[in-house]
Amino acid sequence: MDRYILRKEDVNRWVEALARTQEVLAPTRVEKEIFFAPTQMAVDLNLLSGTATLPYLPAKDLVLPHSENLFHFTRKGGDYELTVPEEKKTAVVLGIRSCDTSGIYWLDKFYQENFSDCYYWRRRNNLILVTMACNQPVKNCFCVCCEGGPFLDSERDEFDIQLVDLQDSYLVECKSSKGKALIEANPKLFAKADPSAVKTREALEEKSRNSFQPDPTSYMSTAIRRITSNAVTPETWTELGEKCFDCGGCAFVCPCCSCFGVGYLNEGEKGCHYRFWDSCDYSGFTREVSGHNPRGEKGERFKRRFFHKLSYQYLKRDGRIGCVGCGRCITACPGEVGMPTVVERLRK
Amino acid sequence: MSNIYLPNLARIIKIQDETYDTKTFEFEFADPKVKQAFKFRSGQFLEISALGVGEAPFGLASNPNRPETFRVTLRAVGAVTWALHQKKIGDLVGIRGPFGNGFPFDEYKGKNIIFVGGGIGLPPLRSLIEPMLDARSAFKDFLILYGARTPADQVYQDRLKEWEKMSEIRFGMTVDVGDANWKGNVGVVTTLFPKCNLIVENTVVFVCGPPIMIRFAIMELSKLGFKPENIVSTLERYMKCGVGKCGHCAIGHKYVCVDGPVFNYKEIGKLPEKS
Repeated sequence: MDRYILRKEDVNRWVEALARTQEVLAPTRVEKEIFFAPTQMAVDLNLLSGTATLPYLPAKDLVLPHSENLFHFTRKGGDYELTVPEEKKTAVVLGIRSCDTSGIYWLDKFYQENFSDCYYWRRRNNLILVTMACNQPVKNCFCVCCEGGPFLDSERDEFDIQLVDLQDSYLVECKSSKGKALIEANPKLFAKADPSAVKTREALEEKSRNSFQPDPTSYMSTAIRRITSNAVTPETWTELGEKCFDCGGCAFVCPCCSCFGVGYLNEGEKGCHYRFWDSCDYSGFTREVSGHNPRGEKGERFKRRFFHKLSYQYLKRDGRIGCVGCGRCITACPGEVGMPTVVERLRK
Repeated sequence: MSNIYLPNLARIIKIQDETYDTKTFEFEFADPKVKQAFKFRSGQFLEISALGVGEAPFGLASNPNRPETFRVTLRAVGAVTWALHQKKIGDLVGIRGPFGNGFPFDEYKGKNIIFVGGGIGLPPLRSLIEPMLDARSAFKDFLILYGARTPADQVYQDRLKEWEKMSEIRFGMTVDVGDANWKGNVGVVTTLFPKCNLIVENTVVFVCGPPIMIRFAIMELSKLGFKPENIVSTLERYMKCGVGKCGHCAIGHKYVCVDGPVFNYKEIGKLPEKS
C-alpha cells in the first residue's frame, strides 16, 4: 500500500483534474442534510474533515438505485423486442465514510454470490471510492462495534483510497489500482508520506476508537449469540415488533439492506419491468397471491430483519454482520427500535 | 456478463383445460438456440412473465427427459395468472430459468417411492414422477396418492386414469367432497394411508400441496415412523427474482429460490422460522 500527503489547499486542484475524465461526487450540504452531489471543484472541506458527518443516505443508491429499469419491451405485431437500458458512467465518490464503504463491499459480496447481478456490477465496476476516515465519531456512531470503522484497516478491509485528516493536509492511503489511477490524474499534488505521518495516523485512530460514547452496541456479540441459537422468545420479538411502524425507513437508510421488489409498466405497445427498494418490514413483503402470508406477524418480520443482520448463519455466509454501525436507523426509526436499542433489549 | 433478469421469449404451443380455474400450458422457446440449450431438473421452477403485467414463479410440471417443450400448470388466482390464462396458442411470454435446486434424482434410486399430492401440488411432483416412470426398474415399490377438494378440482385427469391402470405402480385417489358420479374414496389424502400399506423402511416420501394438507400429511407420516430426512417437499414463497437477490423468499439463512425449493423435513426443521 502506498501512502502520500495531499495538502488541503490542493484538494480542489485534484478534484478539477479528476472531473475532466469522470464525474466526481462529493458531500454537499442542502439545508440541514448532506447528499452526494456532482462537483467540478470547490469541495466543502468541512464535510471532508475528521469529524463524522454522514450524508442522509449511504452511497448505496449509486450501485442499487432507488428504482432501476431492468428492460423495456415493445410489442411488434405478435412479437416483442426487449432492450436493456445503457449505463456507463464512471464516478469517483469523494468523502464517503468508512461505514458506508464497508457497506458497499458487503453488497459486493452479496451481489456476486450465486448469480452475479449485471445491473449492480456495471455500476459498481465504474465506481471509485475515496473514503474519509473519522477521527471523531458523533452521537449515533457505533461502527467500532461492527468492524465498519472508524478507520479502514489496510490489512482487514478492501478500499481504493482512504484519506486521514491531519489538520492542514490529508494522509492518502492508496490500496487498489483504481485508487492509484486517481493519484496519477495529478501526481504532482502527492508527496510521499514520511513515517511521522503514519505515526500520527495511528494515534488518531487510537483516539477515535476510544471516543465512542458508551454504547449498548458493545453487547453486539451477546445479541448475535442469542439470535443464532434462536434463544430470543417470540414474546420479545412481538414486543419489539409492536414498536415498528412498518415504514421501511431503516431498510432504506441502511448501507447493507438490499432487498428489492419488481414492478411492471404497460403503456400501449410499450412497457418495462423495473426493480425498486423494498423492505422486509412491510407486511406485504412475503404475502402470496392466495392470501397466505408466511410472515404476516409483526414480530416475525422484526425477527427476520435482525436474523439477517446479526445471525451467525449469515455472518458465516457473508463474512461480516449485516450492520456497519452508521447509526442511520437510529435517526430514521420513528418507533425507536434502531439497531442499538434492539441489541440492548436482546442482551437482557 | 449474462443478464439474469432478462427473460427469453417462449411461445405457447398447447393449452389444456384442467379444471374450471386451472390450465396447463406447453411452451417452446422462440429462439432455436435457447430451445436447444434448455435443460432442467425435476423440481426446478421458471419465472414466467406476461410482459408489462407481472412475473411469478411456477414449478415445472413436465418430464425433464424431454426438455424441447415444457409444461407448467397454473391456477388463475392473481394478476399474472389471469393474464396468462387469457393467452392463446402462438402467443409469447417471457421466461427466466430454470432456477432452484431440483430433486436429487439419483439419490432416490433403489428406494421405495411414495408421492402424496394435494390439488395443485401435483404438477411439481409430476416433473419427478414421469422421469421415475421412465426408469421404473431403478425404484422399488412405487405409490402415488392424490387428493383434491372435489372431482372437479383434479388436475391431469387423463393421466390419473393411466396411472390407475398401470400394473407397475400402486395408485390411490381421494376427494374431500364427492359428487354424484364419484365412486372412490372420500376424505382428505391422509385417509388413504391406512388403506395403502405404506412401507416405512428404505422409503422416501414426496409431499406437495396446500400448507394445511402438508402439515397434516407430515403429522401422520411421522406417526407411522417416517423420519424427517425421508420426507421431501417443495417449499413455496413468492420468489420475485429467482436468483437469491431480492430477499422475498428467505427463510432463516436459506433462499427458497436458490437453496430450495426442494428441502427434506430435517432441513426444514432446522430453520429458525415456521415454514
